[in-house]
Amino acid sequence: MSDNIEYLPPTPGAMKSVFPHLDCLVDAIDALKQAGYTNMVVTAPLPRHEIEEQIYGGKPSPVRWFTLIGALFGGTMGFSVASLTHVNWPMIIPAGKPLVSIPAFIVITFEATILFGSLFTLAGLLLMCGLPSHGLQSEVQDPRFSDDVFGLVVNGLAPADAEKVRALLNDNGAAEVTGMEANNG
Amino acid sequence: MKGLTYGAVTRDILQPLFKPSAAYLALLGLCVALLGWGGYCWYLQLTLGLGVGGYAPPVFWGVYITTFVFWVGIGHAGTLISAILFLFRSKWRTGVYRASEAMTIFAVMSAALFPAIHVGRAWNAYWLFPYPNQRQLWQNFKSPLMWDVFAVSTYFTVSTIFFYIGLIPDIAAVRDRTTGTIKRIYDALSLGWRGTDRQWRHYMAAYGFFAAFATPLVLSVHSVVSWDFAMAQTAGWHSTLFPPYFVAGAIFSGCAMVITLLLPMSLIFKWEKYINVWHFEQLAKMCLLTGTILTYAYGVEHYIAWYSDNPYEWGIFVYRATGEEYGWVFYMMVFCNCLAPLIWWIPKMRKNLAVLFVVSIIINIGMWFERYNIIASSLAHQFDPASWTYYVPSWVELGIMVGSFGWFGMWFVMFVKIMPSVAVAEIKELVRPPLKSDQVAAK
Repeated sequence: MSDNIEYLPPTPGAMKSVFPHLDCLVDAIDALKQAGYTNMVVTAPLPRHEIEEQIYGGKPSPVRWFTLIGALFGGTMGFSVASLTHVNWPMIIPAGKPLVSIPAFIVITFEATILFGSLFTLAGLLLMCGLPSHGLQSEVQDPRFSDDVFGLVVNGLAPADAEKVRALLNDNGAAEVTGMEANNG
Repeated sequence: MKGLTYGAVTRDILQPLFKPSAAYLALLGLCVALLGWGGYCWYLQLTLGLGVGGYAPPVFWGVYITTFVFWVGIGHAGTLISAILFLFRSKWRTGVYRASEAMTIFAVMSAALFPAIHVGRAWNAYWLFPYPNQRQLWQNFKSPLMWDVFAVSTYFTVSTIFFYIGLIPDIAAVRDRTTGTIKRIYDALSLGWRGTDRQWRHYMAAYGFFAAFATPLVLSVHSVVSWDFAMAQTAGWHSTLFPPYFVAGAIFSGCAMVITLLLPMSLIFKWEKYINVWHFEQLAKMCLLTGTILTYAYGVEHYIAWYSDNPYEWGIFVYRATGEEYGWVFYMMVFCNCLAPLIWWIPKMRKNLAVLFVVSIIINIGMWFERYNIIASSLAHQFDPASWTYYVPSWVELGIMVGSFGWFGMWFVMFVKIMPSVAVAEIKELVRPPLKSDQVAAK
C-alpha cells in the first residue's frame, strides 16, 4: 500500500507528524509559528479553511491574476480575430451592413473570454501549486494523508531544535512523530 | 452527513472501483455493440454518400442535427449542477455532481460526433475551425454556425478542465489505495497531488474561478445552439424566444438524464448514504421548474405566431399540431414534456424511485422529439408550397443515432469503474471534521 515511501529517503532536517484531529492540528500550527518555526508543510484529505487561515492569514491566492489576464487577452483576441478577418476579407452586403458588427461578434468575444480565462487559470493553478509534483519530499507522501488524517511536516530543523519541536507536536495531540531521531538526526 | 468518518467515506466511494462483474461486462458489451452498429451505418454513409439518409430536398437537417441538439442539451445539467449549484453553496449538489459532470463530458463528446457526420465529408470537418490556411480563406464570424463551433468547443474544453481539476484529489486517493502499475498510472493522472496546504490554497481559488466561468457558459451554449435556428428566416425558427426556451429545455432534459443514470447506480453500488431519494427529489424539482418554463414557452410560441398575423409563421404552428405527417411528433412532445412530469407535483411521486426513473426516461424521449418537431416540420413546409415535402429518417440515420447512445454509454460505464463517481474530498467537507474537543465533550 505504501510502496512509494520506502523508496524515498527521509529529508534531512524534516520532522513528520500525523494528526487525527483537526483542532489539534490547527493548535500545533499556531504553536509552531509562535515558537518561530514557519517552514512547514501541512497536508489534508480535504480543503479546510482553518488550515489556510492559520498558515496564510486570509491572503488571496495569486491565481486570480492569471484569470484576469487570460480573460482580458481572450476577449481582446476574440473580437480582434473576428473584426480583422472581416476587414481584410470584406463581404460587402447591400443595405449598409457594417463590416465590424459588434452584436454579431459578441458571441465570439464572450466565448474567447471564457476559454482563455479558463486556460490561463489552469496554467496559474499548475504553476502556483507546482503541479505535476511527483518529486515532493518523502514525508508528505503518506497514503493516510488522502484518507482520514492530517499531516504536519516541519522542515529545515537544526538537530538542536529537534527535541523541542517533537515535544511541541506531541503536546498538541500528534498521534505520531517521526524523523530527526537522535541517531540519524 | 451524520455518523460518517473520513475513512468510511473513502472506503465506501472507492469500493466499486475495478473488479468488474459479469453484469457490468454485459452492459459494457451492449454499449460497444450499439456503437459498432452505429459505426457500420456511418461507414455506409461515408462510402455511399449522404444519399443513404432520408433527406428529401429541401430538408437537409434531420436526425443528425436533432441528435446533436439533444446531446448538447443533456450536457447542460452536469455543469449546471457542478458550477451553478457550487456558487449557490447547494448541499445536495455534492453527492451527484461528479457523475453528472462525467455525463456532461460524454454527452458533449457524443454531440461533437454529429457535425462531422452531418457534413458528409467528415474528413473535411476541420474546416469548421478558424485556422490560417493556404487559400487565405477565413470563416464568416457573423454566421451562427461559426458561433456554435466556438460555443460547443469552449464548453467542452472548460467543462473538461473543471471536471479533471475536481477529480485530481480523488485520483490521488485512489492512487494511495492501489499498488504496482495501476498505482503508477493513477499517480501520473493525479499529477502527484499530495493535498499540501499550498496545493489546496490555489486549488480552491482556481475552482471558484472555473465555476464562475462555467456558469454563464451553461446558459450561453444552448442559447448559441438555438441561434443556429433563430437566426434563420425559416418560419417556426425565427424567434427571440429561442435562447431561454432552449436553455430551459436543456436543463430539463439534463436533470432527467442525471436521474436516469444515477438512480440505478446508487442502488447497485449501495451509495444510499451519498446519493438517495432526497437528491432525486431535488432533481425532480429542477425538472418541474424547467419543464414549466418549457410548457410556457410552447404556449408563448404559439400565441406569438398567431398574434404576429404572419401566415407563414402561424401556418407552421398549425401544421405541427394538425398535420398528419408530424402531428404525432408534436403530441408526443406535449405528452412527454408538459404532461408526464406533472405527476411530480405530488410529493409522494417525487420520492418513488420507480416513478422517478420512468418519468425521467419519458422526458428524454420527449426532448428528442421536441428537437425533431422543430427541425423537420419547419423545413418540410417552407415558404413555397411547391417545395413541401415529407422527411422520414432512414434506418442508417437512426442506426447512427443509436450508435451515439452506445458511444455515450460506453464512456459512462467505463468511467464508473475506473474513477470515483462521487467526489471523495467534497463529501468529506460535508462530514463533521474529527475534533479532539468533540471526544472530550463525549466523555
